[in-house]
Amino acid sequence: METLEYFLPQVWFGILGLFLFLYVMLDGFDLGVGILSLTSDDEERRGLLMTSLSNIWDANETWLVLMGGGLFGAFPLAYGTILTALYIPILVMVFGLIFRAVAFEFREQANRKFFWNFAFGAGSFTAALGQGFALGAVLKGINVDSSGHFIGGTWDWLTWQSVLVALTLIQGYVLIGSAYLVWKTEGELQETHYKTAKIAAWTTMLGAIFITITTPIFYESARSKLFEPPLVFVFAAIPVLGILLVSRLLSSLERREERAPFIWTILIFVLTFLGLALVVFPYIIPTRITIYEAAADPSSLVIMIIFIGFLIPVMLFYNLYQYVVFRGKVSGKAYGE
Amino acid sequence: MEFLSDTVVLSRMQFALTAIIHMLWPTLTTGVGIYLVMVEGIWLKTRNPDYYHHARFWSKLYALNFGIGVATGIPMEFQFGTNWAPFSEAVGNFFGSVIGFEASWAFMLEAAFLGIMLFGWERVNPAIHYLSTILVAVGANLSTVWILTASSWMQTPTGGEMVNGKFIVHDYFQAILNPFAATSVLHMFFATLETSLFVVGGISAWYILNQRHANFFAKSFKIALAAAIVVAPLQLYMGHLSAEQVYLYQPAKLAAMEAQWETLPAGQPANWSLVSLPNEKTQKNDWEISIPNALGYILEFKKDLSAPVRGLKEWQPEDRPHLVGLIYYCFRIMVGIGFFLAAVMGFSILCWLLGKFSAEKISEQRWLMRAWMFAAPLGFIAIDTGWIVRCVGRQPWTLYNQIRTVDSASHIPASNVLTSLTGFALVYPLLLVASLYFGSRIVRRGPDFDLPVPGIEIDRPAVDTAPGEFVPDERPVEAQQ
Repeated sequence: METLEYFLPQVWFGILGLFLFLYVMLDGFDLGVGILSLTSDDEERRGLLMTSLSNIWDANETWLVLMGGGLFGAFPLAYGTILTALYIPILVMVFGLIFRAVAFEFREQANRKFFWNFAFGAGSFTAALGQGFALGAVLKGINVDSSGHFIGGTWDWLTWQSVLVALTLIQGYVLIGSAYLVWKTEGELQETHYKTAKIAAWTTMLGAIFITITTPIFYESARSKLFEPPLVFVFAAIPVLGILLVSRLLSSLERREERAPFIWTILIFVLTFLGLALVVFPYIIPTRITIYEAAADPSSLVIMIIFIGFLIPVMLFYNLYQYVVFRGKVSGKAYGE
Repeated sequence: MEFLSDTVVLSRMQFALTAIIHMLWPTLTTGVGIYLVMVEGIWLKTRNPDYYHHARFWSKLYALNFGIGVATGIPMEFQFGTNWAPFSEAVGNFFGSVIGFEASWAFMLEAAFLGIMLFGWERVNPAIHYLSTILVAVGANLSTVWILTASSWMQTPTGGEMVNGKFIVHDYFQAILNPFAATSVLHMFFATLETSLFVVGGISAWYILNQRHANFFAKSFKIALAAAIVVAPLQLYMGHLSAEQVYLYQPAKLAAMEAQWETLPAGQPANWSLVSLPNEKTQKNDWEISIPNALGYILEFKKDLSAPVRGLKEWQPEDRPHLVGLIYYCFRIMVGIGFFLAAVMGFSILCWLLGKFSAEKISEQRWLMRAWMFAAPLGFIAIDTGWIVRCVGRQPWTLYNQIRTVDSASHIPASNVLTSLTGFALVYPLLLVASLYFGSRIVRRGPDFDLPVPGIEIDRPAVDTAPGEFVPDERPVEAQQ
């Protein structure tokens, strides 16, 4: 039983990490494309950008719903505390997602598309901003009492660190969005996004470097963990690998490769994610509440593995199948028409 | 304006507002999803292109509603954490897991195959496409199953017990199959299906009435009617079973539904109140019209009650539901609509049997078509009023008899909730208006008959009659005979 109480929360930490990663990667490029649409002044081009997402955005967004439900069931204490502490960033994200989603449906029917174009771009930007603040605030630490309940103030999440994380995340979304468009489009549109990918690769890297340097300086608890062997070698390797990957990305953009930039970007996301997971683990509310303290009853975790865990390969399969069905470049008004 | 500084009241208002409006869209997608399965199936069986065009036309409305349903649904999930953190922490073991099951079993299935259903006509073969349509419908309706399971468990929490303020589950299947679950799932399933069928039928009736593609829409009208024959009476029956369960498990809610202040003893006839003016201050109805002996027949199909019906006064004021008038009238509106829809359906069947729906005659049934148009939005009102009865009637508990609503709300400043509530109050009605406007545009534009039918090459008869290359006959005129 003791090993079970150790092992099960770790499994759920891993599963939720996977859901969050899939969300950040998949809806990340949706949001990135949305943010990029703000820079486009041509109706046809915006139409193409939205068409490139129309069949996948809701499946991509589902990973967030799944991550929310999983966190609720597996770590109820963390679900309540984190969401209460992040009341405003969550609200900002939720309203952003609302406008992003309805823009797809309403723009298609509307005669005057201006408002819904703006709703798509601004909604994507706001959603990304809310997520960035939320991530930054969780990493910075949430003020809780000994039993793990939130005791901080309404604006605790707003610090210069969370602003930095939010800006970097937005850049990261723009990067993966650009890489997706390079993959899915051709001609002038593709050419534009080779450029935006390049700019975003640089700005994302600068943000990431800054976060990497400031983390051990400002988080005492992280420092002791980061500078002790054997983890210190892992943490030293991550920035080195990161810079290597970014240089591979930049050279693939230089060579006008079509799929490679997307793959390199995903690898950069994977690396960043592993880095963050290592900093956070074994906490679910960093440095205050561990996954073991916040976990649901072991019987719940087991039943959730049976009901959700075994569906993960199936869910991955039908998401993949979708991408296979709609493979190829985006063209014309809409798929299949 | 005391409530403006009360976090609990504001959080309740926010949840009620978002739930009442959000619910309207999934109602259509779950029901129309099943309708699409029927239409595409008929197309595959008959190969009549009309049914293909029906599938394309109604799936446009599906897409619109799905998009807004998702957009308004995500805030619902997050509200449990932002506004109801103590509740989430206490019931996460079961309730949170079920919310996770909904996302993984139901929502992902629907979202993943929706793209293929909407845009994949030319990219996958008809069998795979049909499978996708079926999976979308299954996914949508599995959402009903899981959400209603979670909600029913809040009404009749079984399968475990409260230990140190947390609900510990001993038996998951007992919790999933709690006493309310099966009836509630079916009651909601038929509600969404019936509402959707009356929407399809009502819109079809509008076309028929306006003589636009009347023959084409007579087909969808008849499919909706044929399905409603089964659904409408079953829904009345499920409603009866649900009321019976409330009588057994939540007598205080039943008393509020009936505005019954005094206990009616067993062995005596019980009147059923038709219209009244409940007064919570004086704890009686200021004014009332009631039908003699009817309550006995409603509950037990006989005049005299075999068990007492308890009145509201049996509970302390803090242990019984408030807003008695709201619960009382919402219940009557829901039941009234249920009977009205069944009556419209029954009368339509009669007309059908009398041959009044033939191609020439159907557009002459003006009053009946108007009745269907009038009935189209009623299902939504019945669903919302039904949920008000269900959830307001559960008060003062979030988890019935276990966790009080006042103990369930997050400890956050009221100003935060007021801000978010204002945001939702501005955005959700706007979305409702916009979706009605854009939905009616889809209807006014009508179906697109130019869409190529898969498997049939358009404008190309089976025998190739295309002109070949012109070869001038160079023989002398005499030889050309």
